[in-house]
Amino acid sequence: MIVCVAIVGHQNNPLYIQSFTEGDDALKLHHVVHCSLDVVDERVNNPKKSGPMLNETYLGLLYPTENYKVYGYLTNTKVKFILVTTDLDIKDADVRNFFRKFHAAYVDAVSNPFHVPGKKITSKTFAERISTIVKAFGLSSAG
Amino acid sequence: MEEYPEELRTPPVALVSLVGCPEHHQAISGYLHSQQPPINVLALPDFSKVPVVLSKKVKDSGSGDPPSGILKRDWLLKHRTKVPALMAALFSSLDISGDPTQWLQVCSDLENLKAAIRPRNVKLVLVVVLQSTSADDINEDRMIALKKRAEVDSKYLLMYTPNDVSELKLSLNRLGNAFSELASVHYREEGRRIRTKVEKRGYNFPELHMRYCFKVAIYAEFRRDWNEALKFYEEAYRILREIVGTSTRLPPIQRLVEIKSVAEQLQFKISTLLLHGGKVMEAVQWFCQYNVAYKRLVGAPQVPYLHWEWMSRQFLVFAELLETSSATMQSISSLVVGGTDRTLTEWEFRPAYYYQLAANYLKKKQSSLEISLSMTDNSSEADSSIDSVVPSIYVGQFARSLGQGDELFMHPLTDEQYVQYTLAERKRFQDSYEIIALLKKAYESYSSLKAQRMSSTCGLKIAKEYFSLDDYANTKQLCDGIITLYRQEGWVALIWEVLGYLKECSRKLGAVKSFIEYSLEMAALPVHPDTNITFLGFVESGPTGPPSLQQREHIQKEVMELIGKDSGDGLSVEKSTDLRLSEKNPLNLEIDFVSPLRTVLLASVAFHEQMIKPGVSTLITLSLLSQLPLSIEIDQIDLQFNQSHCNFSITNKEKYASTTMFSSVEQSQRMEIASSLILTTNRWLRLTYEIKSEQSGKLECVLIIVKLGPHFSIICRAESPASMADLPLWKFEDRAETFPTKDPALALTGQKGTQIEEPEPLVDLALGATGPALVGESFMVPVTVMAKGHDVYSGELKINLVDVRGGGLFSPRETEASFLDGHHVELLSIAGAEWEDKSQGSDSNINRIQQSFGLISVPTVKNGETWSCELEIKWHRPKPIMLFVSLGYFSQESDPTSQKINIHKSLQIEGKIAVMINHRIMLPFRQDPLLLSMVKPPEADQLVSLPLGESNVLIVSARNCTEVPIRVESLSIETDSSSPSTSCCIKPGSGPGSPGFTLLVAEEEFKKIFTVKAEVDSTPLSLGIVCLRWRRDPGSHDPSTRTIVTTKHKLPDVNVEVPPLIVSLVCPPYAVLGDPFTYFVKIQNQTPLLQELKVSLSDSQSFLMSGTHSGTVFVLPKSEHIMSYKVIPLSSGTQQLPKYSFTSTRYSAGFQPSVAASTIFVFPSEPRFKGVNDRGKNLESVATI
Repeated sequence: MIVCVAIVGHQNNPLYIQSFTEGDDALKLHHVVHCSLDVVDERVNNPKKSGPMLNETYLGLLYPTENYKVYGYLTNTKVKFILVTTDLDIKDADVRNFFRKFHAAYVDAVSNPFHVPGKKITSKTFAERISTIVKAFGLSSAG
Repeated sequence: MEEYPEELRTPPVALVSLVGCPEHHQAISGYLHSQQPPINVLALPDFSKVPVVLSKKVKDSGSGDPPSGILKRDWLLKHRTKVPALMAALFSSLDISGDPTQWLQVCSDLENLKAAIRPRNVKLVLVVVLQSTSADDINEDRMIALKKRAEVDSKYLLMYTPNDVSELKLSLNRLGNAFSELASVHYREEGRRIRTKVEKRGYNFPELHMRYCFKVAIYAEFRRDWNEALKFYEEAYRILREIVGTSTRLPPIQRLVEIKSVAEQLQFKISTLLLHGGKVMEAVQWFCQYNVAYKRLVGAPQVPYLHWEWMSRQFLVFAELLETSSATMQSISSLVVGGTDRTLTEWEFRPAYYYQLAANYLKKKQSSLEISLSMTDNSSEADSSIDSVVPSIYVGQFARSLGQGDELFMHPLTDEQYVQYTLAERKRFQDSYEIIALLKKAYESYSSLKAQRMSSTCGLKIAKEYFSLDDYANTKQLCDGIITLYRQEGWVALIWEVLGYLKECSRKLGAVKSFIEYSLEMAALPVHPDTNITFLGFVESGPTGPPSLQQREHIQKEVMELIGKDSGDGLSVEKSTDLRLSEKNPLNLEIDFVSPLRTVLLASVAFHEQMIKPGVSTLITLSLLSQLPLSIEIDQIDLQFNQSHCNFSITNKEKYASTTMFSSVEQSQRMEIASSLILTTNRWLRLTYEIKSEQSGKLECVLIIVKLGPHFSIICRAESPASMADLPLWKFEDRAETFPTKDPALALTGQKGTQIEEPEPLVDLALGATGPALVGESFMVPVTVMAKGHDVYSGELKINLVDVRGGGLFSPRETEASFLDGHHVELLSIAGAEWEDKSQGSDSNINRIQQSFGLISVPTVKNGETWSCELEIKWHRPKPIMLFVSLGYFSQESDPTSQKINIHKSLQIEGKIAVMINHRIMLPFRQDPLLLSMVKPPEADQLVSLPLGESNVLIVSARNCTEVPIRVESLSIETDSSSPSTSCCIKPGSGPGSPGFTLLVAEEEFKKIFTVKAEVDSTPLSLGIVCLRWRRDPGSHDPSTRTIVTTKHKLPDVNVEVPPLIVSLVCPPYAVLGDPFTYFVKIQNQTPLLQELKVSLSDSQSFLMSGTHSGTVFVLPKSEHIMSYKVIPLSSGTQQLPKYSFTSTRYSAGFQPSVAASTIFVFPSEPRFKGVNDRGKNLESVATI
């Protein structure tokens, strides 16, 4: 199950962060997302020399915490997408697919003429769309 | 890791035992220890100790009862320290070869030894210690007998020679090889024996299976077969996993504890082996699996803390293992790349990650322990029974030891007793320090990896631990470090959490200022009122609770109450703490451009004009913005400028009325009253006032002091709207952004400072110089100060002469050069008649003149008056200069605050050379002396030669090179004082010398003729210096205003020679057509020698001539020879006389008269002149030109 998704801007500032837990660990998820930026930095600064990773936006599994797994995605405009999930075995393809949809939703949201680049995304439509994607992901990975 | 016994932590080392000949044990054991791999030695002094050491308990080999534990606690220790792999029996060669009693003793010792070692399958080695160097004294028969008795292979019957150094080394080497070989054989056999048991499955209990696997692995380790060891450890681990759910041997809690303890040992062994084998990837993967497998085995609900403690230890041990082996590890990134599957990430290879998790589990243990303790708080009566609980002989088991007489009985525990025991044990420890230590390790490790966010998270956890220990100073220090990163990256929720701790720490520490700072910052955080629903799920959101609008308002109210702005509604801070503001300790909060408190109060100041005239008022707009959730009412705002007389205050209307007494103290300062000073959230409070300043220069608003309550004020640095940085944190928010000023253009360009112009000078400064200056003269530049509207007080006139070519300034080199040979242009003096009169007796007046700089004080000039002076400047070289004159003055007398007014003027002046002087020396007309020096080919720098005693003509001309008309006063030649005055005689000729002066306009030339007669034959002869005295033509002015300048020109030196021959031509000044005349050629011989001359004469068509044409003439010494020719002119006009030429044979010098000398004008008829006397004179003057 996806517990948190986040969009992080250039200055590593949160643009959108949404947790999907009934429980009470929203702050913890903030910490998890924030810490994962360290891994993103390291991945970006020390790119893998080999393989098709050169122009890859999908950063893969960033790090496992005790209960979560954190995946990352970096757009060409250096906006980072973070996904925190509790599923311990999850297919890479599913995550990639999720990020693709997420990216599309983000592009639509920032294409809104009333959106100021660099500011937090407050669009309700965007939030709804994201929660749909998150739910769909839960279904697909479960099945 | 330290809590594990040493035999577990270190790889097993083979053990051998030495017996007999104790004096040699030291040497042998020292050698074996230093071997690679080392061998440990158990030295027994004599044979009687052997059975004690090797005693073996009689085991019930029956397989009916299940074993009461998995691993025995001391089994490994036994094999490491007690049970040797081989027994080396040392016999002295003397004993062997000695008398039969000795031999018998040897044999019996050997027999006993054999009996003792047999059950343990310990190998035997015989060492014969040779007492003397020669091997002859050994009885061969006895040796063979000994070998037979011992039943050892001959290669294990060794000689040991302690007396010879080289032999000693050899024998030690032999011993070492034999020992390690036999030890290896022993361990292999033992291993194989147990392995057979495993393979045959000759047991019914998995516990035994596991134990055997463990033993096989240990034996494999003894002989350094790591692969086999690993294999069997893994096998043991696998079986252990199987019995987790099935074993019923012990009460459930203790059962699980035992299993975990064994698993821990196995995992430690496996991880160590993998890491030391360089298989980091496998080790990490293995640990992951292990972690996953055991994480859920929390066990009984009474004792969750045992599980968390155990988990924490697993992570800690693995972190330490990873850290010790990371030195030899290759780089982490290559490991990650190398892995085909991406299930492992970078952090999983870092010890920091495991330290952090260890701390997390320890934290869990702490909290679950607290719960458990609180539940069983009243059960203190069981203390006596758990006092005697000790670890039992099996790993992971505990038992009560009941002493009965000398013997101790182990009594198994019930689960209840065990729980009580563990609770009592754990109560004694303070976990927080442990947690902090773990987190600190993680924190430092992450910091060194530059993973600042990870390290911040760890730091925050440490801070929380300190907070729970009431160590507020440490908490605050840590949080202060962490919050910087969060602020920078704008993680509001995290900032909120950290600020919450900081605020509470400040409260606890009684730091009012920081408490207010943190509170205000929290209250101004961008926590959204509409989106904070999801934020509400915070549990550990710090002591202030979850971020929400209500919380922000609550915090603000708290602060307002503290500073006395609010009456308070029961939640008083003051009641709970000793935080208080009073008259004695007022609080000033400073907000600068980078302060996080800019969100609390942002002050922007904009002048409506960027440049204003002094004394003219302009508008200034002060805009204040706050993001605090509740409106604040400001009591007073002070604006402070860099020109302090402009400072003013804005006060609230109501407050002003109530505090008139307070403000009356500062009556001197301007006070504005505003109707309302209420600052609402995210809305600019704009206040516009007039401001003016008399003082020129920059006027800038520096500080805005906002007073809230009686003892609290916020000091804000004023910011320019044009260069204002975005608000931190709020810049990411989607909020309504408005301009700080009503006029959007001003918001984009407004500055907090303005430039006040200098006051307009109402005084004229005129420089009245005309035309170029002439080199040598004192050039006067009149300077006139005309007061047209201002009075001039304490005026100062600055004069600067600057070389034009130097770009307006003297370059240093130029200055230096001009100092060396004097200034090219000099300011001589400043002549101001009026000033000189008035300044008499006043010493304070400045009057300083340097060569290129002058400073004089100007007397008071009333409005309408003028004052003037003249600058006297002298040029030594022709050079253009720039003259800068500036006047600085005060317009009011004795007013120190008034501004100095400056006026500048400049003028470029050319410096020119006035006159050029030339000269020319001419020999007498138609008289040619033979000058011998002229005969030779001319040389450079040859001096002009003058014939001695002849009257030569010197023409001196002076030409005016400028456009300025000048007056030549006189032209004279002064003889050099150095040369004797009698050497030559120079007399002014009878030129057109006018009695007064000659006016020379541009390019006109003035000439004067002198006669030069050399009287002494001295070479060279100095002719003297031409002195031209001139002055600038004053025109209609009085000529005395212009100084006379003397321009000097030195005449070149000449040679004086005595000419041997002088040829002169004598003929009338003119001729008339057809009228015959005679023309003589006179040759004068001045030598005491006879001179021979060849003469030739060429005919001319214009004349009819009689006389000899060619011939040779002899001139007697000191005499004259005259040749006369009668000629009749045949045509009129300027005609060439028949040309003659001479050649002196003595001097081989030819002579031909010049064309001018042999030219004559022929009138067509007798001319009619007015006066006969004038005739010749006129003609002569024509000829000289």
